[in-house]
Amino acid sequence: MKFLEAFYSKVFVNIVANKEGLDVSVEVYAKKVQVSGYEKSFSEIDESMLDFIESYTSESPYYYISVLDSSSTQGAIPTCLKNRLSYYQDVSDCEYKCHDSKWTYYTSKTNLYDMEKKYKRVGIDFIFSPFSVLAHFFKDKLEGQTSLYLLIEDYYISVGVFADMQLLYAEHLNISDYRENEELYIVNDEQDDGLELELDDSIDLEGINAIDDMDSLDSLDDFGDIEDLDSLEDIDEFSDTQDIEEEFNQEQEEELVMNAHSSSSDDYKRFFLIQNSINAFYKDDKYESEFIDNVYVADAVGVSLDMKRYFEEEMFMNVYIRRIVLGDALLELAKEELSV
Amino acid sequence: MIYSYIRPRKKSAVTPEVKLLFTFFGITLLMLFITYAFLLYKDYNFVNDLNLIAQKNAVVNQNLSEMKSQIEFIEKENVLAQKIQTKNSVLKDSITNLFDLVPQSITLSQAQLQQNALILHGLTPNKDVYSFMLQAPLRSIFHKTYSSFYPAGDGWLRFVSTNYTDEEATIKEEVIENEN
Repeated sequence: MKFLEAFYSKVFVNIVANKEGLDVSVEVYAKKVQVSGYEKSFSEIDESMLDFIESYTSESPYYYISVLDSSSTQGAIPTCLKNRLSYYQDVSDCEYKCHDSKWTYYTSKTNLYDMEKKYKRVGIDFIFSPFSVLAHFFKDKLEGQTSLYLLIEDYYISVGVFADMQLLYAEHLNISDYRENEELYIVNDEQDDGLELELDDSIDLEGINAIDDMDSLDSLDDFGDIEDLDSLEDIDEFSDTQDIEEEFNQEQEEELVMNAHSSSSDDYKRFFLIQNSINAFYKDDKYESEFIDNVYVADAVGVSLDMKRYFEEEMFMNVYIRRIVLGDALLELAKEELSV
Repeated sequence: MIYSYIRPRKKSAVTPEVKLLFTFFGITLLMLFITYAFLLYKDYNFVNDLNLIAQKNAVVNQNLSEMKSQIEFIEKENVLAQKIQTKNSVLKDSITNLFDLVPQSITLSQAQLQQNALILHGLTPNKDVYSFMLQAPLRSIFHKTYSSFYPAGDGWLRFVSTNYTDEEATIKEEVIENEN
């Protein structure tokens, strides 16, 4: 009966949960060519949503419904070796898949059952990990130096650090985990550290005869060279790690970023959680920590320019933001799975 | 490449509607096939029967022609038999008549009936008895009559009477009789 498949069109239904409800996009393909596409948003899984989906899925028996894994207990591990998985994460109650024999993404089995139960009336064929979406979306950027890749959704952030296609670190963050007290605590903590540093590094005035020592004045003249750092050439040297191609693309994306839907406070929460995650990556001995220069953001919500500013000013990173339509990203994965 | 945590549900082009359609078409095709096979069988049978009948017909025709020829032969035989019977009855009558012609005093020893002739051998007491009692009626029947005598030894005479009919004269007489 496989030959009959050629006579039918393929209908891809992509369901993405967001804070407004559910975005459903439908793409109809006939012989690997897109014939039509439809989109509609629903507040919940109700009759109208079922009718909308059924009106297209009834056209062909070959329809595939994809959803993005929106559970909290998921993540990715920088190895595919089964005996090494437990070193990073207990995956005994998890479903996991190896990506390209390089790294593993996982999710809790309970969450999968919950999702299948949640979409029981619709029926689902694919559940994709946001880390798969992230890796697929930035597949042209994963090669090369160590960079941070982010998939920003309404409630979740998928954080991945990749170097030469190899995942080094990953974390799935829930924005609701953000607590202001924690922020204050950490900020205070950081301030304390700063104070300690200042104390530790404070100059022992007793040992210096500042005014009398002419040699020291001579040496002060050398500080005049610091002004040269502001010259354009030096700035260029600093920007060696910048992604020129992505910079160019950014100019085109700029308008999209300007039409941001996300509030600045949400973006700060996101930045704060990401910053913590990066700190964890640097500090945790389990991971091969390498210095991160660039941040690639797959923006599904429309983050504000503040987000970019936070990264640039507080972490001195080059930030490149690309808009991502999650429905389209799910479609691409589903197509690749079915070799369409 | 596999990305999804779950495998897609099994898809089949055979929906209940298509299944119904296939079943319907299947039954229809099956019935058509059975009908076609039945007609083929009947056709084959019919051709076989036709050949047999043609063969039988040929045999019957052959028999018929043989029988016709036999009937013709039998008819001819019948005609011949009737002719022979007629001739025999005529001959029988002739012989009866002939013996009726022979008087008591004359004894016949041999009589030969030929196509156009009658030859009689016998004993007569004398020529006169023969001439009056036998030769006279013979002459009325035959066109030509020849008699010869020779002595028998006891005073009687042996005679040989040879009588001929003229065919042409007989035909003419018959024609005249028919005309009358």
